[in-house]
Amino acid sequence: MFRLAIANLVQNKTRLLISVGGVALALTLVLFFRAVFDGAEGRLTVYIDRAGADVWVSQEGVRTMHMSESALPASVAEEVRAVPGVEEAVPILYTEGMIEANGSDYIVYLFGVPVGAPLGGPSLVSESAPEPQSGQIVIDHAVASEAGLGLGDQVTALGQQLTIAGLTSGTSSLVSSVSFVSMEDFAAVRGGGDVVSFVLVKIEQGESPAAISSRIAETVPGVTVQTSPEFASQERKLVKDMSADIITIMNTAGYLTGLAVVALTIYIATVGRRREYGVLKAMGVRNSRLYWIVLVQALLTVGIGLLAGLGLTLLLSAVIPSFNELIVLSVSMNSLVRVTAVSAIIACISALLPARQLAGLEPVAIIRRG
Amino acid sequence: MNLALSNLFQDKLRFALSVIGIALAVMLILFLLGLRAGVFRSAVIYLDNAPGSVAVMPQGVKSTSAGSGQFLSPETVDTVSSAPGVDRATPVLAMMAIPELHGKKQAIKLVGYDPAFGGGPWDLKEGREPANDGEVVLDRVLAGRHGFDVGDSFSIAGHELTVVGLSNQTASFAGTLVFARKTFVESVALAPGEASFILVTPAAGTTSAELIAGLRSLPGTNVLLKSQVMENDQQIIAGIFDQVIFLMVAAAFIVGALVVGLVIYTATVERRGEYGILKAIGARNGVLYRVVVSQAAVAASVGVALGIGFAYAAGWLVMSARPQFLVAIEPTAIILTLAAGFVMALAGALVPARAVAGLAPAEVFRR
Repeated sequence: MFRLAIANLVQNKTRLLISVGGVALALTLVLFFRAVFDGAEGRLTVYIDRAGADVWVSQEGVRTMHMSESALPASVAEEVRAVPGVEEAVPILYTEGMIEANGSDYIVYLFGVPVGAPLGGPSLVSESAPEPQSGQIVIDHAVASEAGLGLGDQVTALGQQLTIAGLTSGTSSLVSSVSFVSMEDFAAVRGGGDVVSFVLVKIEQGESPAAISSRIAETVPGVTVQTSPEFASQERKLVKDMSADIITIMNTAGYLTGLAVVALTIYIATVGRRREYGVLKAMGVRNSRLYWIVLVQALLTVGIGLLAGLGLTLLLSAVIPSFNELIVLSVSMNSLVRVTAVSAIIACISALLPARQLAGLEPVAIIRRG
Repeated sequence: MNLALSNLFQDKLRFALSVIGIALAVMLILFLLGLRAGVFRSAVIYLDNAPGSVAVMPQGVKSTSAGSGQFLSPETVDTVSSAPGVDRATPVLAMMAIPELHGKKQAIKLVGYDPAFGGGPWDLKEGREPANDGEVVLDRVLAGRHGFDVGDSFSIAGHELTVVGLSNQTASFAGTLVFARKTFVESVALAPGEASFILVTPAAGTTSAELIAGLRSLPGTNVLLKSQVMENDQQIIAGIFDQVIFLMVAAAFIVGALVVGLVIYTATVERRGEYGILKAIGARNGVLYRVVVSQAAVAASVGVALGIGFAYAAGWLVMSARPQFLVAIEPTAIILTLAAGFVMALAGALVPARAVAGLAPAEVFRR
């Protein structure tokens, strides 16, 4: 029966190709959209992961960096530094702002870090200067490449013309990238007095981040203290909470389209083979066996479509960044498992319609009609 | 045409499935474009409803979409307010915040304004504007989702806030508007007397262009038309959304074309005999192409019409279930989709047309 199902399916190769193509594209829609979000999420915590801090201190109630603003009196850095077990406490300024590079605007997470700070500065600098001095900026390689700029060229950030002194890498996503200026330049244009955004803490050897985190929270008033993994986890939760609805909407649209394509394909394949099914029925084959054939065809169509869709998404993930480095796509196992499970359900639902047709077949009449 | 229709309608269930397939692809295209238009509209809803036609921004700042990290000093606010040709200056201090409401992080844009100068909620559904620090007007949709009513309270950046009013038209996927007194936002942002931007209404007899020319000499500022700032805000959103949306629209378009192709191909192959007879009695390929294209056009037309209906239904459904999403299906998007449907039909008819063209009449009879 399995052979019959395959033979039936592959007999008309053009039809199979069109239907597999339809399923593949519908599932690509789902996989691609998810890959864009997963890619952006992977880059979201890149600064937190690379900053070298064990503990992050922010304004009370501020638990995230993305789309958030934290303002602390600069004196908080000294208060934190005085907490037993703290080795280094580095204040930084942060904003989600814009840089204008060669006539184009780019959203950036802009950090102002004290010159010579042991924490929080640019990492993975792919070229030249390790950290920006006054009048300088370090931007992501992808942004520089997109804008056609390099070291020594000028961009506008914080309303100032700044010279590109270095390039980071691996911090860009569809939404933003990471840039660094000197704390001095940042503070000069921010206004509002002696304010910092976060204090990055390096703990002494042998101390636990959680214990120091609690100790700072007990000692310094008006702050929220989180370990680096906690802070990164809050960032991921933000993206998850914000994107959950839109991902559900897009997934539903993609799955429904896939369902229609598979249902259409299986229905056409089954109805086109009515005569053969009639003969099988006349030979005494039960309806349940015929349903099985239809189900196998549906599963095969969806299976091949899923593989093609995955291949297409992986191809897009490899090709798109070479045209636009700002788009990072990441196909996760979690997304793949979910799409596979839903695809199997789609195949089963698609097999239902022709099953009704098969049940209603009258063998003799069919054969007579030819 | 009769042959095309009878061929197409021969199997009604197949026709229905094909129309649904095309309709879903069309719905997806229209829905994505509607979502994009909705995000664009939401991005500028505050500026669109706020007073003034000129915006004074900090130096180098051209939009309100991202936090600039820069503020206008209290002196600049005073200078703009008393500048010649200014009827009203509305200083606004806006900041993003992510409170956690019922276990879910919620992006809000806290708009600090002074009721004496305007810039607050323009459509108050219930309650009143904030009279003291610590009072806020919450978006009606956000309040509904979290069961907040006038008199309830929640916390932002360690400050307890009481809801004193609910506003309409202020929901947004990327940052729902919450209105507070400017002095309160100043205390949260540690920016006393400062402003993110100033919206300026020209005095009678002064044009916006004249006002901009007059204010341009102010140090540390960037003076633009408010409409230009709105355009810049939308361009930033476009930079984020468009590449993904257009790739998805392209995929949906190809799916639609494949569905048309699959249906018309099957209908054509099933009727090979009839097409062979037509060829044998002298019908030219052009006639047969017309039959194939007519079938594709009919399937695509019905699918597109249904897809437009589906898109409106999906938009309504999404906006009812998740009112923070605005799905704005615009006439230009419909025209674009109609054109896409027509191209889908033509593309879908290519393979079946080739099958018909390759038919050898004698061979058909021999089989």
